[in-house]
Amino acid sequence: MFSVATFIDSFGPLLYAARYTLLISGLGIALGLVIGALICAARLSPFPALRRFAAVWVSFLRGVPLLVQLLLVYYLLPVIGIDVPAMVAAVVTVGICASAYVSEIWRGAIAALPRGQSEAAVAIGMSPGDIWTRIILPQAVSLSLPALVNELILLVKASSLVSVVGIMEITRASQAQAATTYRPLEVYIAAACIYLAINLCLAAVGRVLEHRMAV
Amino acid sequence: MVQASSVEIAKVNKFYGPFHALKDIDLSIAPGKVTCLIGPSGSGKSTLLRCINFLEEYSSGEIRIDGQLIGYKTPGGAKMSGRDLRTMRRSIGMVFQQFNLWPHMTALENVAEGLRRVRGLSRTEAEARAAEALRKVGLGDRMANHPSRLSGGQQQRVAIARAIAMEPKLMLFDEPTSALDPELVGEVLNVMKALAAEGMTMVVVTHEMGFAAHVADRVAFMEKGELVAVDAPARILHQPEDPRIQAFLRTYHERNLF
Repeated sequence: MFSVATFIDSFGPLLYAARYTLLISGLGIALGLVIGALICAARLSPFPALRRFAAVWVSFLRGVPLLVQLLLVYYLLPVIGIDVPAMVAAVVTVGICASAYVSEIWRGAIAALPRGQSEAAVAIGMSPGDIWTRIILPQAVSLSLPALVNELILLVKASSLVSVVGIMEITRASQAQAATTYRPLEVYIAAACIYLAINLCLAAVGRVLEHRMAV
Repeated sequence: MVQASSVEIAKVNKFYGPFHALKDIDLSIAPGKVTCLIGPSGSGKSTLLRCINFLEEYSSGEIRIDGQLIGYKTPGGAKMSGRDLRTMRRSIGMVFQQFNLWPHMTALENVAEGLRRVRGLSRTEAEARAAEALRKVGLGDRMANHPSRLSGGQQQRVAIARAIAMEPKLMLFDEPTSALDPELVGEVLNVMKALAAEGMTMVVVTHEMGFAAHVADRVAFMEKGELVAVDAPARILHQPEDPRIQAFLRTYHERNLF
């Protein structure tokens, strides 16, 4: 029998845990955007060493599962004598992982701009700095929005993986709740509802932004 | 009347790897004159045009604007600094086949952008001058439109306004009407005619033989990277001596028969 009471009661602790899910994915994407921009810049720079570094960065972080990256960081940090709260380690790991995807999203958006866009600016004598900030980036940012919203939604779901390092986000909280109530189905349905609600909101915000920034 | 530049092209060669795109090109253009570059596609017309403002690097030879070498510090020497090149480009306007307007800016912002960033004008002054340039090309009532809300002919006129607002002394046109629907070609050519009448030095790569015949002072015919002939429009278009020009004009006339 489906217990409606357990289902409803699950929302209390799970919504409390949702703040960690939001914090990890929110800070994760923010960090990912910043590092991703730097990696993308390195990838497009005229310096071969920087380009190679960026390529290796992207290959490694895309090639190793986030779960394994989290466990690596969790066990590696104490070994090299760094003692940070699990939350900080989780956010940094998620952010670094996201940076690989974000940098590729931006590289793709920049490559999608027709060459004539910057040529027209070069022809009237604009400096490279102005060409980047006035012509290329504004267009690349709005072109990349759908892919960035997609990435943020993936991160919200991927944040469930940080449960392995002991952070009480939605997934970990559901496991605990399921263990105490012996009603896993009700609890996980509640968890699914919360994830879905968060992601539907993000998608809606994304649509509004896209509409506003449409080129 | 505008202050107009001269262009001197001497022994210019351009290679793309092993491909010899421009072969020993010599061409001199006097201030205030209109020169049309015609010829089959792939003949090097656009490449030559793009060498004049160094959007395309030439491999050897010299291109001088008002006597000043563009692109290199000395003939065959080191490249010019980015800053010096930008300074020279400020007085050379260019209009592209695909317009290349910036889609995230309005017509007015497209024209004002260079005035603000390159000429350092205040926003108010840049927009006042941009508005004047747009009125000149007949788009005084379209200034707030984004390019996506303009017809091809209007977009190309905005692109011309963007170039002339910078007060260039030389204008380069790279097939300015080739991407336009036939009924929109006239409005762009009229703006170009008006510009020519003001005494602007213009180099125009075009397939519009009518424009070449009526507006150009000289027509240059290119084929396979060579400059075959440069002469008065009537002599190239009506009494060509070179068989290559005759063959080109024959296909042109056949295409326009119906």
